[in-house]
Amino acid sequence: MTSVSSNRITIALLGQPNSGKSTLFNGLTGARQRVGNWPGKTVEKKEGHFDRNGIRYRVTDLPGTYSLSANSEEEIITRDYIASGEADVVCILADSSQLSRSLFMLADYAGINCPAVLLLNLMDIANSQGKTIDAAKIEERLGIPVVPFVAADTKHYDAFYKAIDRAFKEKSIINSDSLFAKYRGIQDGSYEKLLNLMPKEGIDNFSADWLSAKLIEGDTAILEKAHKTLSFEAYKEVQTVLSSVQNGALETAGCKFKWIDELLEGAVVQKKEKKLLSKFDKIATHQRWGKPLAVLIILLGLITSFIPATPIMLAGSMIPKLGEPIANALTVISAPQMLINFINQVVLNTLYFAVAMIGFVFGVNLVFGFLEEVGYMARVSYVFDSAMARLGLQGKAVMPLVVSFGCTIGGAAGTRVIDSWGQKVLTIALAWVVPCAATWAIVPVISSLFFGAWAPLIIVAIFIVAGLHMLITAKVFGRKLVREEDRAGLIMELPPYHRPRWKALLRSIFVRTWDILSRALRIIFVVSLVFWLLTYSASGNQEQTLLYRFGKAIEPVTKVLGFTWQTFLAYFASMVSKEAALGVLGSLYLGADTLFSATVASGGQVASGLGSVLLTSLTQPAALAFIFAVTFNAPCLMAITSTYQETRSLKWTLRILGYYFITSLLLAFLVYHISGLFL
Amino acid sequence: MHKLHEVKTGQKAVVKNIKGDARFLSRITSIGLSLGCEIQMLHNKGKLPLLFYGRDTVIALNREDSKGVLVEVIA
Repeated sequence: MTSVSSNRITIALLGQPNSGKSTLFNGLTGARQRVGNWPGKTVEKKEGHFDRNGIRYRVTDLPGTYSLSANSEEEIITRDYIASGEADVVCILADSSQLSRSLFMLADYAGINCPAVLLLNLMDIANSQGKTIDAAKIEERLGIPVVPFVAADTKHYDAFYKAIDRAFKEKSIINSDSLFAKYRGIQDGSYEKLLNLMPKEGIDNFSADWLSAKLIEGDTAILEKAHKTLSFEAYKEVQTVLSSVQNGALETAGCKFKWIDELLEGAVVQKKEKKLLSKFDKIATHQRWGKPLAVLIILLGLITSFIPATPIMLAGSMIPKLGEPIANALTVISAPQMLINFINQVVLNTLYFAVAMIGFVFGVNLVFGFLEEVGYMARVSYVFDSAMARLGLQGKAVMPLVVSFGCTIGGAAGTRVIDSWGQKVLTIALAWVVPCAATWAIVPVISSLFFGAWAPLIIVAIFIVAGLHMLITAKVFGRKLVREEDRAGLIMELPPYHRPRWKALLRSIFVRTWDILSRALRIIFVVSLVFWLLTYSASGNQEQTLLYRFGKAIEPVTKVLGFTWQTFLAYFASMVSKEAALGVLGSLYLGADTLFSATVASGGQVASGLGSVLLTSLTQPAALAFIFAVTFNAPCLMAITSTYQETRSLKWTLRILGYYFITSLLLAFLVYHISGLFL
Repeated sequence: MHKLHEVKTGQKAVVKNIKGDARFLSRITSIGLSLGCEIQMLHNKGKLPLLFYGRDTVIALNREDSKGVLVEVIA
């Protein structure tokens, strides 16, 4: 055990998906948590702590898995962690409303020599279904503390703390004798033969019984462990025994469920008949209406998310208004103009961008966190499974993609409901393709200017390209992000609907909102500062800015891609905000505004007279190339920040950014030269 | 004996055998399906994955894998 002194206890949370692990984790640790990845793995690692009676409790939230086999990275991580002995007490969560299935994890754990506690979570839902569960009876049979529990309600936590302390003190191990007795009946006593070959004391935390059962299930990782530990003869014998075992997992699962049934015998009473599929669910899972309903609900969700977001975003938009009084005050004390400029443009705009972003992310998390919490997102996963599987994604991923039609920041934030890190990153990479609302502030303006009545065709072309783009991008990123085994067909449960637990939901959102704000401030500040320096000139003359010189210098290159130096700089600025594309064109062609404010504060306004200047300076192919380059460029600085926030990987954020930068330029090149043949 | 995807909406059946690799067996059993387990088909239409009720749970299973689940219809 790693906990050297008795005033430190490590708890690991173990449970199937939807058992309420994250709710408990947030409830226990609050803001005292750290989210990262397991070393070298694409699986999220959540750790935190809390203090009680002078004891520090460290909490590790293990990945949500259905069992302890070695079929996925999540399962291997979970198992290795338990084997390592790092945890003093493993806390197993089960969903009381589906107890017999959900106890499979407990049965799979039985035989591991690490003290455990069983939490019968979601007891309130079980009760509302007319179920009564006798926890004391189950505890008596199991020999470990069993606690009726509601993870969303911190009032229940006292019983949890006591159970943990008791399990720690008494080193309570699951009484698994009757389960092992059942294993003995499997296929001509193969289990017993294996048991005799295993080391008596087991390996690590795994008992000889547990190891034997896993071998029967065809667990290759355990076979490897046996290979390393056993003598040559013993290992050969193991292989001989296993060669006659077929479909072992089916047999042991039968034993496990029989054991669970005996455990629950007389301890669970179901009073009223449970309704299998509600009227709403019949529509939500309907082959024809399920999909339109899902899209409708997601769109309504997007609109609803502006209700909590708008006040915050409005407050943010007041920040730049402080510029004038601050400038006046600074002028009075004769501060240098550069400092005034810096505060006005960089500091205030950073605050504005970050607060606006937080507002929207908060709204999206609240609304879609709610839909996830009540159980609806699982239905979306179900109806969109086959469509999304083509992109290597789970059905739920349709939500961030639809939200991205409104705003990519929301799309990236919405990927929080996706439980696999790789799929989350892939979903974000694809969400960037979706043309966001800001695209429509630019594309129609330039399209109708250059192509008149043909403009709608360009919009159609954008959608066709977006579709192809997604397929290609899914291939490019999918190979590394989504493991082959995770592309297997859908096997999932549809959790029962339940009322939202607002307190727990808000707690989980607030915990991360502060984290997002601090990161957003840092990133937006750094990028704004760099952009400000690039566009700064003491005299206000554009020709003295670094960006201007850079644009001019590389014009020979950008010309090949179909850009004038002005359109290239406008394209460049559209990575900060999409609307900036028009503002910067106005600034460069007409000198309407400084480059910096044209980028951060143009709000998609078209400078008067810009149209006629553009018509004389750009050819039709160049205009078309510009439209495509801006549409498929990185969406905006806040979307990039939001991507970094959700992926927590600078490497992957930069990869996605670089990919979009290059592909949008490549697209511009193709559009410019191909359309040049016809126009 | 029927394959699971041949069970009509509303019918009840008992699982008699499950075929597939170790990974599939482990996945499908850990979600609640095992030999002798009684299920009720809730939705088997169009191209959507099957939806059935078994062991206290509404389970969704893709059509391809469902061909490996052999059942006996009881009602």
